Order: sequence, then C-alpha cells, then structure tokens
Amino acid sequence: MTPLVSVNSLSVAYRSGGRRIPVVHEVSLEAAAGRTLALVGESGSGKSTLAAALLGHLRHGSHVTGGSVTVDGRDVFALSAPELRRLRGRTVAMVAQNAGQALTPSMRVGRQIAEAGGDIPVTELLDQVRLPRPAELARRYPHELSGGQQQRVALAMALAARPKVLVLDEPTTGLDVVTQRGVLDLIAALRDELGLAAVLVSHDLGVVAHLADEVCVLQSGRVVESAPTRQLFALPEQPYTKRLLASVPRLDDAGLALVRETGEREIRPKAVVPEDAPIAVSARDITVDYGSSRAVHGVSFAVRRGEVLALVGESGSGKSTLAWALAGLRTPSGGAMSHESGDLARPAQRRPMSLRRRVQLVFQNADTSLNPRRSVGDAIRRPLRFFGTASGRTESAERARQLIADVRLDPALADRLPAQLSGGQRQRIGIARALAGEPDVLIADEITTALDVSVQADVLHLVDDLRRERDLACLFISHDLAVVRGIADRVVVLRGGVVVEEGPTEAVFSAPQHPYTCRLMAAALEPDPDAQPPVEATPDWADAAQEGEVWTDHGGGHRARRWRPAGTPDDNPTAPVAEGVS
Amino acid sequence: MTTVDTVRADAPAPRAARAWRTLRSSRAAVVGLAIVAVHVVIALLAPLLTSYDPIAGNASQALLGPGGAHWAGTDQYGRDVLARVLYGGRYALGVSVAATVVSVALGTVIGCATALRGGWFDDVTGRVLDAVLAIPAVLALLVVVTALGTGPAVIVLAVAVVFVPQVVRVVRGAALAVVPADYVTAARARGEGTWSILRREILPNIVDVVCVEFAMRASWVVLLISSLSFLGFGADPPTPDWGLMVAENRTAITVVPMASVAPIIALATLVIGLNLAADGLSKAWGVDRITEGF
Repeated sequence: MTPLVSVNSLSVAYRSGGRRIPVVHEVSLEAAAGRTLALVGESGSGKSTLAAALLGHLRHGSHVTGGSVTVDGRDVFALSAPELRRLRGRTVAMVAQNAGQALTPSMRVGRQIAEAGGDIPVTELLDQVRLPRPAELARRYPHELSGGQQQRVALAMALAARPKVLVLDEPTTGLDVVTQRGVLDLIAALRDELGLAAVLVSHDLGVVAHLADEVCVLQSGRVVESAPTRQLFALPEQPYTKRLLASVPRLDDAGLALVRETGEREIRPKAVVPEDAPIAVSARDITVDYGSSRAVHGVSFAVRRGEVLALVGESGSGKSTLAWALAGLRTPSGGAMSHESGDLARPAQRRPMSLRRRVQLVFQNADTSLNPRRSVGDAIRRPLRFFGTASGRTESAERARQLIADVRLDPALADRLPAQLSGGQRQRIGIARALAGEPDVLIADEITTALDVSVQADVLHLVDDLRRERDLACLFISHDLAVVRGIADRVVVLRGGVVVEEGPTEAVFSAPQHPYTCRLMAAALEPDPDAQPPVEATPDWADAAQEGEVWTDHGGGHRARRWRPAGTPDDNPTAPVAEGVS
Repeated sequence: MTTVDTVRADAPAPRAARAWRTLRSSRAAVVGLAIVAVHVVIALLAPLLTSYDPIAGNASQALLGPGGAHWAGTDQYGRDVLARVLYGGRYALGVSVAATVVSVALGTVIGCATALRGGWFDDVTGRVLDAVLAIPAVLALLVVVTALGTGPAVIVLAVAVVFVPQVVRVVRGAALAVVPADYVTAARARGEGTWSILRREILPNIVDVVCVEFAMRASWVVLLISSLSFLGFGADPPTPDWGLMVAENRTAITVVPMASVAPIIALATLVIGLNLAADGLSKAWGVDRITEGF
C-alpha cells in the first residue's frame, strides 16, 4: 500500500541578507493512513517548516531547493493555486499550535467551523470532538471557551471537510497537563475512527511517546534518526537521540539528571538542607484579589536558606500571583509575608533598598525578560549600580562580567544584544541579572517552560549549583511535575488558589494523598511508550476542609487538604473553598 | 518553536548605522528627506541667494511680472517675490520645528507615563485629552492666539495644545505594547522610579514610533501654521511668510500670479517632502522591519 504522505529528499532554504540559509536538508519521510508520524526536534530543527510544507505552504522568503512532497498521489509544489486550495482542508488539514490565536475572536464558533466547508453538520463535528452540548457551544465566541475547548474546536474545524491527512503542529503546547492528556487521547481516537494519517510536530517527547507510531528525529534540518516509536525510545541509536531522551526529566528521578555526551544519565543526589537552616522567607495566610475575584486563598509556606520549594499547579492556580506578591509587584489583600531582614507587606517601591535586593525574580519568557535595545552587559550593570552592590563604572563592568561567568557563559557576551543570544543564554543572563542584587531569595517563575529539553536541563543544573554555592532560598514555580521532582526539596500543590497538598518531594511523589495531586501525576506524560502512570487516576472528589480540621497529616511535614469522594453526603454545606475558582 | 536562534559571530553594526541602512532602503524616505534638506539649506542661506531685502518696499517697482531683475516679479509694495519666498522658509521652518519638537516631546512623555502608570492616572489623562480633541484644531488655535496675542512663542504653545493629545494617543498605544514586557516588570520589582523606567526601558523601544510621529506631525504643523498666517493670526506683516504672502497677494492674483503661486509651490514641496519622509520612515522602521532579518 502506498503511503498517503511521502516526502522525498526535500530541501528548503530561506534568503537572509543575500545568503541562502538551509532550514530543511534532504529530508525523506512517509506517513500511512491510520498511523501517526511524529517529527521531533528542538527549536530551529525545521520541524514546523516541514509540517507547513505538507500543505504546500512555505514561509515568506523561503523556497524549495530540491526534492518533492507528495500527498495522496499529488506533488503539492506542482499544483496550481486553485488545486492547492482544494488540497488544503479536503486532503490535508492543519491544527495550529495556539488554538486561541487560530480562531477568529469576533466570529461564533459554529460559523467558523461551517466556513471550513464540508457537508457534516457543525453539531455532529462538535460532538465528534467530545464537546458537551454542541448546539449551545456552537453559538459561543472563542473567548468564552477554555484552552482545551478551543483546541477541540480547532480540531473540529480541521475535520470538517473530512481530510485524509491531519497535520498537528504542537497541538497541546500551552495546555495544562490534564487538558493535554484529554486532547491527545481524543486525537488518537479520531485517527483510528476516521483512518487518518496524522503528522505530529512536537518538542515534547512525552507527547510523542504517547501518540506516535513512528518517530523522526530532526536536528538543524536533517533527519538524525527515524524508527518505530517503541524501538526509538527503548534503543535509540544515534548519540543525539540518546542525549535528547536522557535530557527529559522523569517522574521517578530522585535528583537532577546529568547527561553525558554519549547519552548516559547519572542522577545527582539533592543537596541536604541542614535541619537548623534559617527561614529566609515565609508567608502566612496570604490572600490576593483581582478586583472581586480571589486568586489566592490563604496560602502559607516558608522557604529555608539553601532550600528549593516548588509551587505546582495548573494555570489559574495562583502560583504566579504568589510570586508577584512576594516580589512586591502585587499587594496581598490579607496575610503576612516576612523576610529574615524585614516585612514584605509593602510593594517593591516602598520596601527599603536592602530588603528589595534580597528578593529577586527570574522570568518565564527569556525573550521578553531582557530589553532588546540594551546590551546584556547593560542589563546586569543596571541592578548593580541601582542597588549599590558595585560602585563606579569600572567596578560594575567587572562585576557584570564576573556574573556572566558565574552563570557559565562567556563574559565576552556582555556586548551582545539579547536578539543575538539563544533562548538558553538569555535565560542565564536573566538569572545573572537577578543575582546582581546579591539576593538570598530567588523566585523562579516557570523559568524552563519555554526552553528546549537539553537547554532546560542545563538551566536547572545552574539553578541547583547556584543555590548550593550561594545558599539561596529558591521558590521554584512550575507546572511540570517531572522538573519539580528533580530539583525541589519540598512541594506545595496549589489548585484554585488553595494548597491541597504539601510535603517533602519524595513523600508527595511516592504517596500522593490528595486526589488532585494523583490526577496531575496520572496525566503527566513520560518519554516512554510503555510507561504506566505512577498512580491510578482517582474518582471525583469534593473539598471537606472545615474550620480547625483542614489537614490530614501524613508525617514528616507531609499533609493534604481534607477531601471526600464526590457524591457522599456533605456534612458541612458551607465549605470555605469555592470550587472552580480556576 | 518556530524561532531560529541565530547567534551571529560577527560584531553587531552600530545602531545608528543600521538605522541609516534601513532608511536608505526606502526611496520615499530618501527623496522626502532630501526635499526637506533643500528647504532647510535655502532658508539658512537666503541672504546669500538673493540680494533683495524681503521687507523694504519700493513703490516704483510694484506689481512687476517675472523678468531679468526680479525673477519671480514683485508684489503690490514692490518687494521681490523670490526673496520673500526664500526668506519665508525661515519663519515656517523655525516655528514649525519648534512647535513639533515641543508637541512630540510632551506627547511622548505623557503617553509613556500614562501607559506605565495606568489606573486612574491613565483614565483621567485620557478623558482630559479626549475633551481637548473634541475641539476643532483651527478653533482651538484661534482661541489660544486671540487670548494670548500673536508671536512665535504663542503659536508654538497653541500648536502644542492641538497636537499633544494626538501624539499622546499614538505613543501610549506603542508604549502599552512594551509595558507588560518582563524587563519592565523587572525594573518595577527593583523599585525604579517612573522616569528612569521611561527613559531606560520604554523609550528606546518606541523611538521608531516617535520618529515617524515627528515627521508626520511636522507636515501637519507646517500647514496649520501657514493657515494661521493666511487668516492673519500668525506672522505679522511685513514678516516674509508663505501663508501671509498668499493672503496679501490673492487679490492681485490675475495681475501677478507668481506672487501667490511661488509661496504655494514652496509650501507644497515642503509638505510633500515631510509626508514622503514620514511614509518612508514608517515603512523602513515599522512594519517592514522583518525583511531585514532583524
């Protein structure tokens, strides 16, 4: 049987400043009906270019320099414009990365799907993507849907004209773990139901292991390795694939993994925080309001010097809001926060300078955390001069170079502009800038989310090294449980602004007590096609915390919020937690 | 995942050199700027270009057509039209540049500040500026000029009243895109003051918008100031000024058409030059930036 999609030694290049830069180099691959082919690679590997080429689309300025793409027996780059238009949608359909941006905000969902063509009624399509009450949902606008629902609508739109090939470009990036799991299961079910050939583009090896039948690993536009999924994950042949696989943090790592050139993993044991380490920063019963809605409901925690405390939760759980409150960017409406050397209740501008410099923030998105018009050296010199940790021009320049060296970069980068650095380098500069104030509390807000896995591993190592060297108290905010497992000493699980479980990392991961924690862990995707979820998904639950009886204690500082299975009689109808705050 | 991390090994071109290169790639900008430059040079060198006095009249030479002695003829008071046109650029350019600089500078600072501070400050400023914008431009100008008398300083003030709200709107819009960036948040978390955040973090990132705004406003200001002169509220006679010349000579347009047409040509070329420059700048520094691979 001939494959539906076949790419024969395709090369694509784009022109920049008079030079021709190849983005895809002699790539060949095939995808058959009912199978999923995954294109895996880090940023710049050309996987998105390749995916778009399947629809006969090339980004502005790029062109095919060799080879061909055949879809359903037709060479897509030889088609005329009307033929190409018919091909798109009817034969090949694409689901883009960010469904929130792929949908027109001013058009009702139903009309948008109808516009995609095809003879299938909209409600049937919505039903097919497992959306509840399709008739009512079709009348809504995209902003009235959650991220997962938007992605399902985008899927329905792609399926409207019953294509034979579905191209999925990072279909679940940006979704919460539980939602991601649901969308992936749906894609797998639809592929089998409709006999589609699916081409999945992803940087997330967990997603690939879960969904793909065959995997094609790309690096700088070339195919490094191509194999059936099981074989690739069990016995990777190429060193690059080995390194890539080994770089992915796992839920059962007891510490950060060190990856050798050959791709062997070695787990570095966590630093032991002495029992008598002083508490660097503590929060008690913090509440934060946005207008009339409450984002954080009475959260308490304390971080000791040299300790990494992870705040874990899905979007809307209030974890970033807590970080902003601690950094003095948002004033809490209740509760108290204090640092070794003073009270943190006031906003940053009104905190004394000596206190302000001790609590520093590192941002999620390295692209926007540095001013594009200022050299990276300047970005680090500014806090040095501002906080007075270096006096004089020459001293601050010297210290800035030292700080760049401290984050394992070449001090010569000081004269570069942020656009001339890679994502990982920029994130390191962000860390160096935070260190310029000589802080003892570092707030790391999803600092590895936007990075490639291998870069992510390096940045995590850097954070771990720095907290050892500088005895930093680190508040590590993440939605990625596997990353948290490797770096954190203690974990606080948040849901809807409420702590549902907290305790030492080992205890929480080996025996999660709250059903929400269990659900998060069950939804996490391991880079192993045969991985069994570490815990069974639990049935629905309801909050059962009452005044004076909020926690169930499991010893060693591990405690979970009280809960009861859903459907059992409620003996306290005025439970203080509002469900669905998120 | 679609970005390509390009770590260029070669040293970056200086910012000014890069700005000049993008500018040169736009023909409209180059032509526009050249026209404006010619006007500036003529205004500066006017005494060298003509030997006639632009103010002193000579009744015996009144209402002459173009000829050997007076290339563009003379007006009803016997003043050389060419000399008055050449000198007239001084007033138009001087007052226009001053008024534009003041309007754009004030508007930029207010626009950035409202974007950065937000909240009630943004709301109140926004509504006040809306109220000013609701008044027709020429009416607002006339009110200020009638209340405070004529004179270059008053004209500058009057133009600022009219244009600052418009500049604020544009700059605020541009700054709003920069304010949520993490580097601004980082500066806030350091506890830096509004002014230092404005100057260090926001202004460098909207400087292209401000430049385009400057070129665009300049052409409007030139027209507005000439209209004022034409209406008799701008330059006082016998100052050589284009708007005033048109007003003075339009009654004699059938006798000496050049006396009205020459200042109109001068004014039109200046405004076209400024418009071309503004268009070219916005293309070179704005939307088409990606083509340079920046």
